[in-house]
Amino acid sequence: MKTHLDDGQLRAALDGELDQAGLDHLESCTSCQTRQAAVRTQSELIAGKLAFLSSPTRDAGFSAPSAWHRFNEYKLIQKETNMFRRLFASPAMKYGLSILLILTLVLAFPGTRALAGELLSLFRVQRVTVVPVDFTGMQQLDGVVGRDISQLISDSVTIKNEPGDPVNVANTDEASQLAGFNVRAPQDITPSRISVMSGASFAFTIDRAKAQALLDEAGRSDLVLPEEVDGADVSVNIPSSVSIAFGTCPEPSNESEAAREMERETETSGSPGRFYADCIILAQIPSPEVSAPASLDIAKLAQIGLEFTGMTSEEAAQFTSTVDWTSTLVVPIPKNAASYQQVTVDGVTGTLIERPSDDAPQFALFWVKDGIIYTIGGLGSNSQKALEIANSLP
Amino acid sequence: MDESLRHESVPHQMKLSKSNSKSDDAFETIFHEYWTSIHRLLSRMVVDPAEAEDLALETFFRLYKHRPAGQDVFNIRGWLYKVASNLALQSIRSFKRREQYEINAGKDALDETRESQPARILAEKEDRQFVRIVLGQMNSRQAEILIMRYSDMSYKDIAAALQVSPTSIGPLLLRAEREFEKRYRALTQEEER
Repeated sequence: MKTHLDDGQLRAALDGELDQAGLDHLESCTSCQTRQAAVRTQSELIAGKLAFLSSPTRDAGFSAPSAWHRFNEYKLIQKETNMFRRLFASPAMKYGLSILLILTLVLAFPGTRALAGELLSLFRVQRVTVVPVDFTGMQQLDGVVGRDISQLISDSVTIKNEPGDPVNVANTDEASQLAGFNVRAPQDITPSRISVMSGASFAFTIDRAKAQALLDEAGRSDLVLPEEVDGADVSVNIPSSVSIAFGTCPEPSNESEAAREMERETETSGSPGRFYADCIILAQIPSPEVSAPASLDIAKLAQIGLEFTGMTSEEAAQFTSTVDWTSTLVVPIPKNAASYQQVTVDGVTGTLIERPSDDAPQFALFWVKDGIIYTIGGLGSNSQKALEIANSLP
Repeated sequence: MDESLRHESVPHQMKLSKSNSKSDDAFETIFHEYWTSIHRLLSRMVVDPAEAEDLALETFFRLYKHRPAGQDVFNIRGWLYKVASNLALQSIRSFKRREQYEINAGKDALDETRESQPARILAEKEDRQFVRIVLGQMNSRQAEILIMRYSDMSYKDIAAALQVSPTSIGPLLLRAEREFEKRYRALTQEEER
């Protein structure tokens, strides 16, 4: 080899990674040897700084078998969390979540059914309960079936009144005036933003044949929808809501974009909470109103829904029997990735849901008082702050 | 006997296809083979033990989730080190994390002082903190090359991870080292002022 080696080749030679022809040249070339000495000086300096990356650690951490056990837990939680995120970000849930929540909280009301005859209406949320769901069992929503469900819902739903963009206001008085109910906020903590979202209303008609075909397609032909759901018209009226932010929070109009951003961030760094770690949002909304045919048996529908998520028939029946469907807001949470507890808050019993994680903990506190549903949610592990806010409401 | 030795060693390049019990067994073998080195690298990079563990778990979870389909042979070691390096760099770049590193490093230094460790160890810790910050400032590819090389990876494994020719690693490494030195000097001079 007559051509001199470049600095990159000289660097490779220091690591024993240069080919034989290069090494032969180096052995006989004084000029290359001199240049290599300079490259070596710099590399040794860097090596001194970075050597700690490969040196043995004092704290060895978990042994591989313990780590494997931890990994299996981690895998379950991650799969479930991803499925939960995907499910709640899917078009199916844009309307489906409202429908599910509304249906589960209102339709099995025998007294009202008797009184209302053909139409049963006006339900009030009085309490919140949680149903842990194994979302990893819902992977059928991830493909064609998920798209078909979204399509069926969007075909069935008629939007009567779309919510407008959130409007920022200066104080709770303005918010109360705009939202039409008495908005509460803690006196001693200054919010970073108060915004009002106008109400919405929509209606849908259940097409039993199509819905049953989707269950069949999802491999759940064991779940049979009752005949009486066919053609049922359901109307939902959601009042205006108010959101009060504390700390650094995404703009309300950008919340869905912020959620997508956090999901992308999770994909790249596993640190979704870092942008809004101190953000806490207090939201309040009067109970939605629903009109539906008296013939709908919501407990039966809820049982089918729970079985679809992977609960056994007995588990689903047991859960539905414990819920007062006339007045209970049922919130599904990931079974393995979140925990919940009942807490006394604002003078009533509320539910605190926490998703513990060293990396991105999240929490949500729900309670209902005087016909208003309150939630306080945030990233980070500061759920105590949520309780303080709730208990300091005037 | 060291538990990790109970599992058969796996080659650095192997076939790992999706979704069958055979590939699940292969994944478990890979996990046992590489856990210690990946966890050690992340412990060195991010200081906070809980975060190092989480990032190590996340590294393997990504391998589990994205087992490359359609690639007959796949450089596991290079892939794991690249993902782990990238996660560590993302973490270092996060302002919140940086704060945490500094708090932890400070605590660590205090503990060491209490144990009457020599000043040399404190200086080393400060040095490592500068190294992390500089790596976080560099472009990802250059930082990854440095991390992989100084974790004792061969040029062949680094090249496979970065999908470049092994002969280009020498020049890339040299450029990365020069960039590191320049930034390191700037940072330490800034600290001295």
